[in-house]
Amino acid sequence: MRRVLRNPLLLFGILFLLLLFLFALLGPVVRTNQLRPPGSTNFDAVTDRIGKTYETPQWPEKPLGTDENGRDVLARLAQGARVSLLVGVVVQVFAVGAGVLVGVLGSFAGRWVRMPLLRFTDAMFAFPDILLAILIVGTFAGAGLGVIPVIVALGITAWPSFARLTVTQIASVRDREYVVAARAAGASTPYLVTRHILPQVLPLVLAVSMVEMAGTVLSESTLSYIGIGIQPPNPSWGNMISDVRQADITAHVPQLVAPCLILSLTIFALNFVGDGVLAALDPKKGA
Amino acid sequence: MKLAHAISLRLLFGALSLLFISLVTFVAGAMAPYDAATIEAGEKATAADLVRIRHEMGLDRPWPVRYVEYLENAAHGDFGHSYAGQKKPVNQIIAERLPITAEVAGLAIILAAGVGIGLGTLGGIYRNKAPDRAVLTLSTLGVTVPNFVLAPLLVYIFAYKLNQLPVTWKMDRPQGDFYYLVLPVTILAARPAAMITRLTRQSMIDTLQQEFIRMGIAKGVPRFRLNVRHALRNAILPVATAIGTSFGFLLTGSFVMDRAFTIPGIGSATIEAITSNDMPVVQACVLVTGAMFIGINMLVDIVLPFLDPRIRESQV
Repeated sequence: MRRVLRNPLLLFGILFLLLLFLFALLGPVVRTNQLRPPGSTNFDAVTDRIGKTYETPQWPEKPLGTDENGRDVLARLAQGARVSLLVGVVVQVFAVGAGVLVGVLGSFAGRWVRMPLLRFTDAMFAFPDILLAILIVGTFAGAGLGVIPVIVALGITAWPSFARLTVTQIASVRDREYVVAARAAGASTPYLVTRHILPQVLPLVLAVSMVEMAGTVLSESTLSYIGIGIQPPNPSWGNMISDVRQADITAHVPQLVAPCLILSLTIFALNFVGDGVLAALDPKKGA
Repeated sequence: MKLAHAISLRLLFGALSLLFISLVTFVAGAMAPYDAATIEAGEKATAADLVRIRHEMGLDRPWPVRYVEYLENAAHGDFGHSYAGQKKPVNQIIAERLPITAEVAGLAIILAAGVGIGLGTLGGIYRNKAPDRAVLTLSTLGVTVPNFVLAPLLVYIFAYKLNQLPVTWKMDRPQGDFYYLVLPVTILAARPAAMITRLTRQSMIDTLQQEFIRMGIAKGVPRFRLNVRHALRNAILPVATAIGTSFGFLLTGSFVMDRAFTIPGIGSATIEAITSNDMPVVQACVLVTGAMFIGINMLVDIVLPFLDPRIRESQV
């Protein structure tokens, strides 16, 4: 714990992520209640228009101004945080689960399960991530499934690296003396895996998944930026950035800088936390 | 002889990867909510019409048969017709768009390799000193800041504040006018350059700790000559592999650059096709970009043993 507190970047990362989580949780609710015109019940500040066009920031009713459709930028930013965190967490949970499962099977299953599984992992690994994601999102783009194709696409591209990591980690653990001793004492393979091997492997996998989550958040905003991720009128940091056309850059600085800044800081924070935990796990590596 | 064996193995692996990509694009086409028959039949077609047209087009045959046919056509460069607009042949669309992407991506990878190897060498030589800190900060920023955040930032500075560079792509730009390329190529190169920098720095640090370098210092080889001729030549080989893999990031980036600077490359062709449910174009674009990625990496792997006797030995 002391080592955590001594690393200012890690500390910043943890604090920022906590704040971001609160912002995502409370932001849309608070903003929507605040902006709702008197008398209307089902008004959504995130997608419904308030004004007609861009408005400059005004404290306190619109601290970051409004976008080209007169929608409150702060409320959309908070909703975008929900999207990013949701996609990031769901994709990583799936990727870690699937990756570790494939990794364990790839290490312990019989030859006829193991070899095809490992070769398939290699093939997936050789396929450029974003291309596969674009293909999957593109296939279901017309079906109107919302955020689901994005999650599926990023999940499918994310698991192979965890499968590889698990295989190499298991290989480094499985011949250690305490594992061999447990096996000699008659432990079955499932018992060995769940009680002796996975506890050794999982902390590293989880730390790596923090770093990988930065990549997932980035990929989601990239897909939304190029127009095939989160579809308007729903906001994502990516499509908020691309909504401010280049001709408007000089006139609408806050509307552009806000999503850019929060996205970059989120990616920084996730990297810092992941790297920090990795360093804490491996005292030899972490200088 | 062993080298030929290794190379043919690598070629085989490349061909398998290509086959895998083609299978994935085929499956995506088969799973898409729209198929060629729905488009051909038009909106007013009845279910019976659809079945008839599907049969005429051979779409009701089992999928292995259709996959082999798809593969055969793709090998001849025939990707069918676009569903949208003038229903152009897909290979014509690819032929129009690919050279533009190849130009931008090619220039970017050259820039990224040059800058990355230069900065990485600097960082490695001055390890933990001021130049190294600057290099590390710069490369961390380069890896983490998304290129679509970098794009408006640089456009704001160079196109609007300094009023030096154009923002949008023009098809009728005069020959030799490369100003349109400066911003997209620079931004595209940022991330690969940062990754190559990190790798070169690490490789340089590792090499400089080896004994032949201490031997060089002892026998009085000039420092610059030692760093460049002795250390860099040894350190640069792992970097060559990284240039191949970072080409993948370049492809991603080119989708973003096409959007940011309205470049009519493969990226914008893919996005246009996706938004208009134009599956044959999506399939062909992904297949062609994937093939480029595999080709570049294969090339690197094949050239590497010729550059480095150590790899040549290890493959025996």
